[in-house]
Amino acid sequence: MGRATSCSSSSIESSTELRKDLSTDLRLGLSISSSSQHDNSSFSRIRDQPSDWPPIKPLLRKALEAEENESNSATFFVKVYMEGIPIGRKLDLLAHDGYHDLITTLDHMFNTSILWSDVDGSYSDQKYHVLTYEDKEGDWMMVGDVPWEMFLSTVRRLKITRA
Amino acid sequence: MNYCPDEVMEHVFDFITSHKDRNAVSLVCKSWYQIERSSRQKVFIGNCYAISPERVIERFPELKSLTLKGKPHFADFNLVPHDWGGFVYPWIEALANHRVGLEELRLKRMVVSDESLELLSKSFVNFKSLVLVSCEGFTTDGLAAIAANCRYLRELDLQENEVEDHKGHWISCFPESCTSLVSLNFACLKGEINLTALERLVARSPNLKSLRLNRAVPLEALQRILMRAPQLVDLGTGSFLHDPASEAYSKLKATLLKCNSIRTLSGFLEVSPRCLPAIYTVCQNLTSLNLSYAPGIHGNDMIKLIQHCRKLERLWILDCIGDKGLGVVASTCKELQELRVFPSDPYGVGNAAVTEEGLVAISAGCPKLHSLLYFCQQMTNAALITVAKNCSNFTRFRLCILDPTKPDPVTLQPLDEGFGAIVQSCKRLRRLSLSGLLTDQVFLYIGMYAEQLEMLSIAFAGDSDKGMLYVLNGCKNLRKLEIRDSPFGNKALSDDVGKYETMRSLWMSSCEVTLEGCKALAKNMPRLNVEIINEDDEVAPSSDDRQIVGKMYLYRTLVGPRKDAPWYVEIL
Repeated sequence: MGRATSCSSSSIESSTELRKDLSTDLRLGLSISSSSQHDNSSFSRIRDQPSDWPPIKPLLRKALEAEENESNSATFFVKVYMEGIPIGRKLDLLAHDGYHDLITTLDHMFNTSILWSDVDGSYSDQKYHVLTYEDKEGDWMMVGDVPWEMFLSTVRRLKITRA
Repeated sequence: MNYCPDEVMEHVFDFITSHKDRNAVSLVCKSWYQIERSSRQKVFIGNCYAISPERVIERFPELKSLTLKGKPHFADFNLVPHDWGGFVYPWIEALANHRVGLEELRLKRMVVSDESLELLSKSFVNFKSLVLVSCEGFTTDGLAAIAANCRYLRELDLQENEVEDHKGHWISCFPESCTSLVSLNFACLKGEINLTALERLVARSPNLKSLRLNRAVPLEALQRILMRAPQLVDLGTGSFLHDPASEAYSKLKATLLKCNSIRTLSGFLEVSPRCLPAIYTVCQNLTSLNLSYAPGIHGNDMIKLIQHCRKLERLWILDCIGDKGLGVVASTCKELQELRVFPSDPYGVGNAAVTEEGLVAISAGCPKLHSLLYFCQQMTNAALITVAKNCSNFTRFRLCILDPTKPDPVTLQPLDEGFGAIVQSCKRLRRLSLSGLLTDQVFLYIGMYAEQLEMLSIAFAGDSDKGMLYVLNGCKNLRKLEIRDSPFGNKALSDDVGKYETMRSLWMSSCEVTLEGCKALAKNMPRLNVEIINEDDEVAPSSDDRQIVGKMYLYRTLVGPRKDAPWYVEIL
């Protein structure tokens, strides 16, 4: 069925008229309804996902899909202002792994070097900025003191100030 | 045999516990049949439609423990419609009507209604143990009935069932007088649970050894529960999410230090990987670890965890552990007997997937390995041949390549030789699942060498009827054969129809069997039920006999065609 090459005559002769089209055999066998331009021999991402391949239990399939949805579609955009610039930017915190990743993005976004609590403040000669955030209680705090997950649960907006 | 009084024989038979052995004993002579049947307490029915409840009850008057299986195995993968069959109600009704002293009921792939659970809970005074695996059809209301009415309940074990959740009230239904629980597993429930009621239940269950929580039980509750049950041997965590800097987490870590009986660990249904160090002390004594429902744990965290598990005998894990991680397993887990690697990304091309490298490493490092389920990106003949050389003890060998017709990526050859090496080397192989590009040749090898094979799963394999014939003619101990999307037709199906009476069942879907072939088979074999499942067809079932059958399921039975089949199942 799935192989275009060596099909012996005994299997072909049996009901040629009623055979399904070979090029769509694999997908029909997988109970996928719509036709798709994808390569038959690979099970790459397609819109109508087969629910019977790979052979895992429905509960496991749902658990894995849920995890994938969570990690793909979750976003958390916060406003970021730089002191002296009236127009702010927006940034998805969940697209970052942690503080280092966030600082790298901000450095690029605002074309500056940003200090946060992880870096010691001995850059007195250069121009630098400090990163702060407004927390749930409305207080402005220095970024980097608390674990990343805790930061995510309390941050409302970011501000980059001149030191 | 004439010199031994019946009571002596009965005493001897008490030592024979496996149902296979007891079945053999009962075939020796009429006298032994009678003695055996009147003393057997545990009965195993592999196919609920092979026999009727009345006949089971009549034959085994001392019946206390019943195991029933319903739907065929491929139902696990959505190939069988939900209402196809496997209803437990008639069994419970018959057991109740005949006043059987039922104490234990274990069901797999059956449809269990709330009514059945309620009837069960009210009909058997000494009922102690309910185990439901991959079942469906019930809600938490049914569980509430079990909790409320089974006064001496010891075990309520729900494994991977699809349960409609009406929220956490059922756990409050265990009366204050219920103190006998030994095992409670509700990990598959999706809804909220009354945490106070759960904690009080644990507090009054001094014999509790096994507890598997669902996702709705947070880390703080887990800590309080473990304080009450430090004697647990088997723990399934629910949610394992917290800030590792918090006090709740420190408390949990301290509590876990006192739980030094835990040997089996599972759960982590949602998890913050930075909380995992709390379980490192538990890991040192673990023999069984199941992380297959923990997609939140990524490769490196998994590896760090495994490095603490030197005594592991059973490991179920996701493929994001990677080949490198499997290498760590191979060097750490020298006692490993069973490994299952599940796909973490069922539809993607799988950057996370494992390859033949991981399997080879495991086979080299784990000499006691005998049971394998391995979902992988690719496999080579060379790797399989090496695995066969390293591990000749396999009793269960199940391979699943995510792209099911993929050849050996190095040689572009089919995997016939690799699997051939496996069946030739592993003389005790009882269960085999094939995968990858495969021709009739692999079946020739299986027919020749797999003498102990009892269950074979085939998907997208073979070239012609010869393949299936090699298997049917060669494997003397074959009990279950399930085939999908393979070019086997009427010639293979009808060659040796007597064979099917020596087997439990045969499943063929998306093959080349026609209605004509199935009808001919059914006509000659009254002790087989040949079922055609037609859910998609708009065409009336028996219109054209040359039509290829979508799904066919045949099984031996002593009670003829069943009467509870839905409209789209035709029993020939």
